[in-house]
Amino acid sequence: MKDYQGVVMTTPVSLGYQRQSPHGASWFIGMVLRELILRSGVSKTDVEGLAVSSFSLGVDSVVSLTQQFGLSPRWIEQADMGGVSGIVALRRAARAVQAGEAEMIACIGGDGAAHRSFEHTAANFSSWSIDAAFPYGAGGPNAVFSLITARYMEEFGATREDFARICLDQRYNANHYAQALLGHKTLSLDDYLNARPIAGPVHLFDCVMPCAGGEGFLLMTEDRARHLGLPYVQILATDELHNSFSEDPVQQRAGWACYRDALYQRAGLGPEDIDMLQTYDDYPVISMMQIEDLGFCDKGDGARFVQETDMRFDGSGKPANKLPHNTCGGQLSCGQAGSAAGYLGLTEALRQLTHSAQSNQIATARTCLVSGYGMVNYDRGLCSAAAILQEADS
Amino acid sequence: MNLKEKMKRRLKLNRPSLRARARPPKQRTALGQQFTAANLPVSLSMQVCTACEHHQYPPAELCGHCLGDTLRYQEVDTAGQLLSRSELHHSLWEFFKRRIRTKPWPIGSVKLRNGPVVIGHLGEDTLQTGDDVAVFSHSDASQASVLIIVSAGTPIATPEQREHIVAALNLKQPAEKQGGI
Repeated sequence: MKDYQGVVMTTPVSLGYQRQSPHGASWFIGMVLRELILRSGVSKTDVEGLAVSSFSLGVDSVVSLTQQFGLSPRWIEQADMGGVSGIVALRRAARAVQAGEAEMIACIGGDGAAHRSFEHTAANFSSWSIDAAFPYGAGGPNAVFSLITARYMEEFGATREDFARICLDQRYNANHYAQALLGHKTLSLDDYLNARPIAGPVHLFDCVMPCAGGEGFLLMTEDRARHLGLPYVQILATDELHNSFSEDPVQQRAGWACYRDALYQRAGLGPEDIDMLQTYDDYPVISMMQIEDLGFCDKGDGARFVQETDMRFDGSGKPANKLPHNTCGGQLSCGQAGSAAGYLGLTEALRQLTHSAQSNQIATARTCLVSGYGMVNYDRGLCSAAAILQEADS
Repeated sequence: MNLKEKMKRRLKLNRPSLRARARPPKQRTALGQQFTAANLPVSLSMQVCTACEHHQYPPAELCGHCLGDTLRYQEVDTAGQLLSRSELHHSLWEFFKRRIRTKPWPIGSVKLRNGPVVIGHLGEDTLQTGDDVAVFSHSDASQASVLIIVSAGTPIATPEQREHIVAALNLKQPAEKQGGI
């Protein structure tokens, strides 16, 4: 696979996080676009490409948005793939910039959160979910992930205390990130263990809070970013794989396990060279699976790894091994803004690597691995994606 | 009362939580409705590919193995193994919300001996991961077929035996609102 020479990511934007909102998806996407233009100092006509991800555009699409926003792009893409939408949009857009199809592309994920809209999304997620998953207790994603979590715990001996390590460190990170919806609250091990049960081993603090919000960034040529004076990061390697290991009766791994060696090889790095990890944390067991499949530890060893690793952004935790993880608190503490949640890891990595994060800034971080997971079509998440990003050479 | 207030009030009264009788999710795709129809006369019926014998579940337009337009419903073996189980303490649907108030709702996933993985209601609370089980279908209070998981050897051959298990699960009766509107 060809490298991403000459293409860079800039201008991370996260905005509008609210538990409920009267605004629709186009408000969040449009506001992110406005912010991207204002912060980068370009004009609307300079945005030659638009990639959009959303669950709640309804009858509209990225095409409708071009007219609503008064854009005339040469290149458009719609990546409605939940937890991988950000990385997939990044991959498509980077190649388009590289091929000269567009010089600057805005990648944006955004979703509203109207009253009872989550219920509607869960009840109508896919035809297989409508016919064969939702009728069984109507638990939505909690039900499916409780089955995956229960099996993982039985097979590998992981405990709720292990999952707590992920949730507690992320909440600490969120306490230092202003936009996190739960960032004003601390979370103790007792709070976590005594939380009300939701589905099997999944309790309240293992679940993300559906919310409204928008996330986005710009992709452009390196020359353009230099010319505009924008801090940027380089894309070392990316990959994606869908419906992998379909013969596994219960999901315990996903695509990362297939392509991680090639991914690291293309980046010229190994897991030990990664300074910071952003996983897709819709449930802590899924973050643990990503840690394993991305080679930070062996399969089934995730519980031990999180017990022995400090995942706080500032390394203030007790364990000696340090790996800052989901440094803005992830969805577990920020809230899950629909498809924007698939961009959260990327925008956070961009902020960290361009040293533009606020009080949750990591002191020294040069490389970041961002991974995505998503789309529970029936009994498991089908999509997996990963990207390795690096601070630009100065 | 002006129109705006009237509509607001109507919207308020239309909440699922205020309905006298709540029923399980009725919504199915056209393929799901065919599954229901095919399962009315037998304990378990599934799409089987006449070309490659692939058992297809959830129902689909084409065979997931050979992509042939060759799927036909036929009665299939009910045997399988329980992959995972869980109790729901929270639901998005009023019928289950009311049931959960008395007891968490048990669900499970099963690997059927002839291939597919199915999600179903647990007919017995004592089932554990790895247990040999049988899966049968039955209409619920919304007249849609749902799958029920019971331990292997449970008598499910006759409609009366299956009806008895489903009645004990409280799936055939709507969940009534207590205390009036």
